[in-house]
Amino acid sequence: MTRGDGPPPEGERHAGEHEVQGIAFRDPEEPGTAGPHPRGATGTGLDGPGRDGQSPPAPTPAPVRRRITWQKLTFLPAVLTVVLLATWLWFRGADLDSIARNSIDDGNVWLRLRQHIYLTVVSTFFVLIIAIPLGILLTRRRLRPAAPVVMGVANVGQATPAIGLLALLVIWLGIGTRAALIGIIAYAVLPVLANTVAGLKAIDPTLVEAARGIGMSPLGVLRRVELPLAVPLILAGVRTALVLNVGTATLAYFGGGGGLGDLIASGITNQRMSVLVLGSVLTVALALLVDWLASLAELLLRPRGLEGGT
Amino acid sequence: MSFWEYVGNRHAQLLADTYQHASAVFQCMVVATLLGVTIGVATYRTEWAGNLAVTSTATILTIPSLAMIGLLIPIMGLGVAPTVTALTLYGLLPIVRNSIVGLRGVDASLVDAATGIGMSRPARLFRVELPLAWPPILTGIRVSTQMLMGIAAIAAYASGPGLGNEIFRGISSLGSANALNQVLAGTLGIIVLALLFDAAYVLIGRLTIPRGIRA
Repeated sequence: MTRGDGPPPEGERHAGEHEVQGIAFRDPEEPGTAGPHPRGATGTGLDGPGRDGQSPPAPTPAPVRRRITWQKLTFLPAVLTVVLLATWLWFRGADLDSIARNSIDDGNVWLRLRQHIYLTVVSTFFVLIIAIPLGILLTRRRLRPAAPVVMGVANVGQATPAIGLLALLVIWLGIGTRAALIGIIAYAVLPVLANTVAGLKAIDPTLVEAARGIGMSPLGVLRRVELPLAVPLILAGVRTALVLNVGTATLAYFGGGGGLGDLIASGITNQRMSVLVLGSVLTVALALLVDWLASLAELLLRPRGLEGGT
Repeated sequence: MSFWEYVGNRHAQLLADTYQHASAVFQCMVVATLLGVTIGVATYRTEWAGNLAVTSTATILTIPSLAMIGLLIPIMGLGVAPTVTALTLYGLLPIVRNSIVGLRGVDASLVDAATGIGMSRPARLFRVELPLAWPPILTGIRVSTQMLMGIAAIAAYASGPGLGNEIFRGISSLGSANALNQVLAGTLGIIVLALLFDAAYVLIGRLTIPRGIRA
């Protein structure tokens, strides 16, 4: 659900959202008002799934209201437009000295914005083609013993500060976009991988067994049962990766990778608040926009059969 | 200079940075926990208020931390103030979310039973609902702490305290002999701190989660 609007109660929930279990069962008489299920940390990969040892929730039968409401489509873009417009107007009025003008001249803002988007998109692509197949491999029977090891590494990875990782890569590979990209990818692979593994594990084992029972090959089970059931999870992974990468890409500047971090950092070091605010507002707007687009994609691309109960 | 020689030579500086890092994160976590649970308790019983708290905190979570700090600097200047504000704000999010989710997840029949034996509203909250909701809240606190460790490192760029300074010193002296040592010391220090905090939370969980609901 989009952050920032009054979320309509929906019945479906994600495999990673273990903490929400039980809510929907609170008022059995009114399934329509089944509790909300916060999407926050799933969207950013912060709730290490299964971390507290709870089992993932069973899919809850609850009627789904209209999935995409007008508010949802218009609220966030409207707010962003207003904020950007206000910033632009304020920026026009602000008197800039030569240092501030230097930082934004020659289409520098536009260049940084494009770099930022480029970093985000490319890194997200690589994160997904690394993390999702790896997640599928780790849930296969033969490699399953390796899963706890990978999860442990993922936990330590979460504790690694992004800026430190990036700096180490820059020292190792030299300054430039490549080091920044690898850093962004490395930072996002582990959370997405952990989410994928947790989600695939959460698939009802009786479904897999039933598929095997009617004579499907392991590959057939994977392709025709497990992967379709895991689509919401993969979409959640896309969103997680996008949101994380927009954030990490602000740090790419410190590795010579450009991006909007350049405006923020030069605003801080040169003490030019106008540049700093412009860079920050653009970054915030980009992050919220990316998250909003990903949430729409999540709603639109989800297979119909998985809409809880309807 | 090898890494260990570097650590040996600079141990005073490194220890001071480590201490500052840990104390900044710890203090912000205490404030964030108190605020977060309070917000959770205040909003979980109303559908729209709880949803609003969760969606607005989730929105803040999508904002890159460097941009958040960048927006706070014009208001608060450089240094400790924006760092503490940003850390507390980010630390709040998982805690608010998990307290609301945890409190809403408490079995309604248990609360009914508590009412039935004549418990007052505060007694119900403190003796039934909060203890039952404590495991998810504690998970939220753990997640928050890990996240704050990394954000605190970034805050060093705005003259915040802690091990991030070590990392940024390394970045600004790229190519020099000590750059790798500085970055490595800062990064490893933060990882070790995060793991120590995590171990502490496991221990706290052991000690504070009521025996009846332990997995």
